[in-house]
Amino acid sequence: MGIQDRDNLWIRIQQVPRHYVYLLLAAVVAWQLLFPMHLPVIPSGATRGVYEAIKAVPRGKIIIISTDWDASTQAETGPQTQAVVHACFQAKKRFAVMNLGAPMGTKLAHDLAQEAAREYGAKYGSDWCNWGYKYGYENVLMALGKDIPKAVGEDFYGKAVTELPMMRHVRDIKDVGLVVEVTGLAGMTEMWIGLIQGPYRTPFATAYTAVMAPGYYPYLDSGQMKGMLVGAKGAAEMEALVDRPGKAIAIMNVQSWAHVLIIALIILGNIGYLLARGRAGGGER
Amino acid sequence: MNPDSYVLWAAAIATLGVYTILYRENPVSRLFEHIFVGLSAGYLLVATWTLNLEGKWWNPMVEQRRWYWVFAPLVGGLFYFIYSRRLVWLARLVMGLFFGAAAGTFFREFFPIYAPQITACFKPLGPRAGMGPQEFFFSVVLQNWIFVVILLSVISYFFFSIPHEGRFGRNLGRASLVGRWFLMIAFGAMFGNTVMARLSLFIGRVQFLLKDWIGHYLLWFAGRGL
Repeated sequence: MGIQDRDNLWIRIQQVPRHYVYLLLAAVVAWQLLFPMHLPVIPSGATRGVYEAIKAVPRGKIIIISTDWDASTQAETGPQTQAVVHACFQAKKRFAVMNLGAPMGTKLAHDLAQEAAREYGAKYGSDWCNWGYKYGYENVLMALGKDIPKAVGEDFYGKAVTELPMMRHVRDIKDVGLVVEVTGLAGMTEMWIGLIQGPYRTPFATAYTAVMAPGYYPYLDSGQMKGMLVGAKGAAEMEALVDRPGKAIAIMNVQSWAHVLIIALIILGNIGYLLARGRAGGGER
Repeated sequence: MNPDSYVLWAAAIATLGVYTILYRENPVSRLFEHIFVGLSAGYLLVATWTLNLEGKWWNPMVEQRRWYWVFAPLVGGLFYFIYSRRLVWLARLVMGLFFGAAAGTFFREFFPIYAPQITACFKPLGPRAGMGPQEFFFSVVLQNWIFVVILLSVISYFFFSIPHEGRFGRNLGRASLVGRWFLMIAFGAMFGNTVMARLSLFIGRVQFLLKDWIGHYLLWFAGRGL
């Protein structure tokens, strides 16, 4: 190989057509989905915080799971919701699913909760319920703080929530032992903290898509949040805690190998860059 | 073909159709993108009516004879006067009302959101009573000291009022340089999380294609522990 050829190689390494990168990534994903090499899942402190917060909800109080997500983030928020629902059923805590910002999520979360309820023999209306999509953002939360039955009105099926057995003793936010916000939407957390967690001291935990999670660590550090699930990783850790290996654990296993590929490509590209610059006598500075 | 199969095939075709964007911009990808946007908008409309307006506005007005609810859409309709030059003041009236309500709500939210974070920045830097050297090192030095150093250096990066000249200014400049590095590390972590999120979405779709779609017909795929 001549010097010219070698120089071209270093440059070519930096300019791999993106289609090849996509294909390589798809191949790694398919390989690990079909022939998984399982890696251990170790729950982080943030994930344990959500799990412990669910277990710590006093008897007689309900949990609100605000599922503000839809199909666009389902791969992360779906397993998160599923794992949180499993944790609630296992700890025998009654919960209400609701939706403030992404109406499609109402049905998607309902299906997940219904599927888990069948597994635990839980009954709709007594062990869990779905308040449905409630439009109005801050207005809904302010109303929830004062009078839950009035703020919610009817459930997912159009039935008055006051008729549901589990809602008979629920008056206002003091009857709520925990709020779990599962979302891919920015701004929802600020509303819950500003209008519910802060003023009423209602315990609050979250589950975010990995994109938005880093911005919310200060809330965890300050104690405003009891815990946080970070993307599919958080969902996988929660699945491990509730002992229900599901989609998230499979996703994280594949994810790890895909990351190895991405890191290798980044290193390769940088080696190419450094060698090409060295050949060019220091290159541009 | 049963109804579930139609749904399965529609979802699979839509997934593959959207992913054709990876090759290049094309009408197939655009078509499915618009279908998704249309579906979301349609679903929002129906959900807003069935889960909100019908129960809280229409039924009380029609069945319980609360006639005064008829004024609600009239007030909301004032927004549309924005298209009239002569009557735009009517739209401004209702907009002002909403701005005021939003500002008031935000003011109410502000302190519960930020005050605990400000107080959480004041962390103990010295040993507490009964704390051994090991505990002091791991829970104070390794956590609180690092936190405070990063906090101060990053704040110094955003302190633009003093030029980086003279003894104090030069030291401030050094601190802000350190702060910039910490910011870069934070942005790197955020970008890493973004990669993880995008990959999760992609893996989720491949999971669907292999397990739910192909696995529906070829059981070997469904049983692969996806």
